[in-house]
Amino acid sequence: MSCKDYQHQITLLLYDELSESIRVELETHLQDCPNCHEAYESEKTMHSVLAEDAARWHDIPSDLLVESRRALADELDRIERKRSWWRVPAFSVVFTPMRLLESVALIAMGLALGVYVSNQRQVSPQIAPNPTQEQISGIPRNGTISNLQIVNADPITGQVELAGEISQPLRFQGKMEDDTIRSLLFSALRDANNPGSRLKAVEVLAQKPTDEMIEEALINALVYDGDAGVRMRAIEALQKFAGEQHVRAAFMHTLGNDTDAGIRVKAIDALMARNSRDVELAKSLEAVTKKDDNPYIRSKVLEFVGTAK
Amino acid sequence: MEAILKRTAQRVHESDDEKLLIEHAQNGDREAFEQLVRRHDRDILRLAFHMLGNREEAREVFQETFLKAYRSLGRFRFESSFYTWVYRIATNVSLDHLRKRQTLKEEISYESDTETHPDRPALKDTLAATTYYSNPERRLYGKEVGEKIQEALKTLSEKERLVFELRHYQGLRLKMIGEIMGSTEETAKNYLFRATQKLRAYLTKI
Repeated sequence: MSCKDYQHQITLLLYDELSESIRVELETHLQDCPNCHEAYESEKTMHSVLAEDAARWHDIPSDLLVESRRALADELDRIERKRSWWRVPAFSVVFTPMRLLESVALIAMGLALGVYVSNQRQVSPQIAPNPTQEQISGIPRNGTISNLQIVNADPITGQVELAGEISQPLRFQGKMEDDTIRSLLFSALRDANNPGSRLKAVEVLAQKPTDEMIEEALINALVYDGDAGVRMRAIEALQKFAGEQHVRAAFMHTLGNDTDAGIRVKAIDALMARNSRDVELAKSLEAVTKKDDNPYIRSKVLEFVGTAK
Repeated sequence: MEAILKRTAQRVHESDDEKLLIEHAQNGDREAFEQLVRRHDRDILRLAFHMLGNREEAREVFQETFLKAYRSLGRFRFESSFYTWVYRIATNVSLDHLRKRQTLKEEISYESDTETHPDRPALKDTLAATTYYSNPERRLYGKEVGEKIQEALKTLSEKERLVFELRHYQGLRLKMIGEIMGSTEETAKNYLFRATQKLRAYLTKI
């Protein structure tokens, strides 16, 4: 191998990408050849500068990860909502234009009644199954139909398209460590229409905020939940981790953005309790709360700044 | 030896587990898909954040990558690992964003002619506003060196940048980078070599 070939291998040596035999050969050559050794030293210097830069990039801002996950989950929810809208194929009845709306409405009522009757079967086994229900496949027997809409109704072909949503009852038991239980709790946290359920989910998760996913879910609730009660519960659960960098970042975000003064006070208390002598934190708090419209918060921070200095 | 066997067993277990998750996700199990996402999303976000240099685009790349994975998971045939597959999507999406940005850069460069449009921002200002180091949180860290490296990275070709990014910043092995690129380890080695040469030439000049 020529010196040029050896110098080509230096990059791979620094990235630990050489086979054992070539590495030994190259290292032996570097000991004997001053030119190649110089090239190696130069490359090594640059490599260490670049490695330092890579180390700075190793951590991604935790709030960015939370935001990105949240946005993805929302988008997946949206896609799934679209998918769950079922389409019912045509009935072989030709409708006249005059009777069309009335007929469609009757079909919709029939469907709803069918599902209702199906749900009642266990209690009243003597009720005969609704024939309309029997004609429709793909609808779970214990599903509840909502948001029923007429997508299309063609008076000439008699083709009717309905769309709606089906939800099914769910009951599940397990331990907090169980992946399904955790997934369900995380889903409950994302239920935009149900703040009560989100609050409960936070409360349950708060019982064990000892792993990364739960911590992130709580941070997510603190930063993004529209309900102040949920955010308050999340911050209470997280306050013992206020010394951790990503939790601290979330609290700083809360201080600068949360509209609820009580939650902002909680954030300050938690940060101060865990980082009582941190001058840098005191400065950041001062900057973030400088324009806070709450005088109590401003005075609390000023007091902390004085103590920290 | 025991440790190696244990690690191998662990990897086998993880890969079986992942296969199962993929199969569930392919059958429409959203939770299984989310578990797959959680296994790799930090790496994908780190890649996007460094390649694009700003939060907004990083978030877009993150979302586009996993949505593409979600939509095309049915076509995943286990010919590579899920990790390689999703990384391939992420690198393509990141490169698309860089290309779009290049087009935008050319447009801004044209439009920010100070004689005809004195009120429009100069390109350097527009880019500076979106770069990673314009983030105040990062200003504390070796700003100057970091900026020079960012500038140097811009001198690399698309593939050199990609290989360097995946090897140096993401720590992937060249063999896997070759797979991600749909190419070979040898090709990835060549790109890495060229990338480091260019970076050295740029960084020693200043």
